[in-house]
Amino acid sequence: MIEEVTLTIDDVLVKAVKGISVLDAAVKSGICIPHLCHVPFLSDIGACRLCIVENVNNGKAKITTSCTLRVQEGMVIRANSEKVLKLRKNIAELLVAHAPNSRAIQDIAVRCGLKEVRYPFHNANCVLCGRCVRYCSEMWQGNAIGFVGRGKDRHVEYPFGKRPDTCKKCNSCVLYCPMSVTPCGEVMKTGEEHLCGKCDSQMAMAEKIPGACVWCETGKSFQCARYA
Amino acid sequence: MNSTNLETILEGRRSQPHQLIEVLQDVQDVYGYIPKDVMGIVAKELGVPLMEVFRVAKFYKAFTLKPRGKNVITICTGTACHVRGSQLLIDQVQGQLRLKPGDTTKDGLFTVECVNCVGACALGPVVVQNGSYSNHMTPGKLRRAIDKVQGKKKEESPHA
Repeated sequence: MIEEVTLTIDDVLVKAVKGISVLDAAVKSGICIPHLCHVPFLSDIGACRLCIVENVNNGKAKITTSCTLRVQEGMVIRANSEKVLKLRKNIAELLVAHAPNSRAIQDIAVRCGLKEVRYPFHNANCVLCGRCVRYCSEMWQGNAIGFVGRGKDRHVEYPFGKRPDTCKKCNSCVLYCPMSVTPCGEVMKTGEEHLCGKCDSQMAMAEKIPGACVWCETGKSFQCARYA
Repeated sequence: MNSTNLETILEGRRSQPHQLIEVLQDVQDVYGYIPKDVMGIVAKELGVPLMEVFRVAKFYKAFTLKPRGKNVITICTGTACHVRGSQLLIDQVQGQLRLKPGDTTKDGLFTVECVNCVGACALGPVVVQNGSYSNHMTPGKLRRAIDKVQGKKKEESPHA
């Protein structure tokens, strides 16, 4: 017997299967919450922080990532309040400043309403979303790559820097990496990184006509041909 | 002998992934560091992916993957010790042993490490040599301590 709970997301009553995350429930009901590190059939770690929502409890609003928040009966969630949008925009700004060479991240930044980046660009090639690591270990039981080090030295690596025999050469780590979606224009070189914003017109329309769909395809975290 | 050591460490802990850190600590105690092949055996015996063992060993600062020297000199570079001149101690070690903090001398006699605080700020600058703490360290005292281990106590007495 599948139990269902009722919760409120953005003043809308939403029915969801007990045990799923708030992000899944929202996306299923067509409420847009941008996300990057979430892959539907993998565990969620809340690495990218883009899917933050306000969880209102006893009149107190607490900001948490919706992908790691399980639905509960009578929950009140604000997914697109002013405070959340502002914070999410800032997170997207930091992401795009860290690794601008990805259409996935550029798309998310534009979708979060980012107009300019105030931080210095880094042109890094990893945002530590952990999609590759989780796909490798959970889908293939490969455990060929993982996070190594901590703090600013944290990075994805093979054990001892050598490809182990448990790697099945499935290439999923590349396929699921947001950095493998190249930007619309040519690849940005160090020193000439910028916020792409070529699809800004779509967003401008959405601002003028409230409720208009920008075809971001709810549930796909970024506009690429692959399911992501 | 090495394999028997590993055998005793792993005894009663096989196929228990939650014992990983304890096992690695024991390995570190016995070998002085965590060798690459031992990590492979530990992964196999505990039923943990090698990646996980590597990740844990890299994450905690208490684990070293490089062989360490017989004498481990730990210099505290916390705020109090820094103010009281721990940089001079580092310079002294660097000049005398020709190595950078975190490295081991070629003869395997010394390893020099820097830590952020050993919790004895009032006694700073503090140097820990093989677990014994020395307070109010000076470059001269440190030089004599290293000379003593190296076994050249008196031959270079008019030291420049």
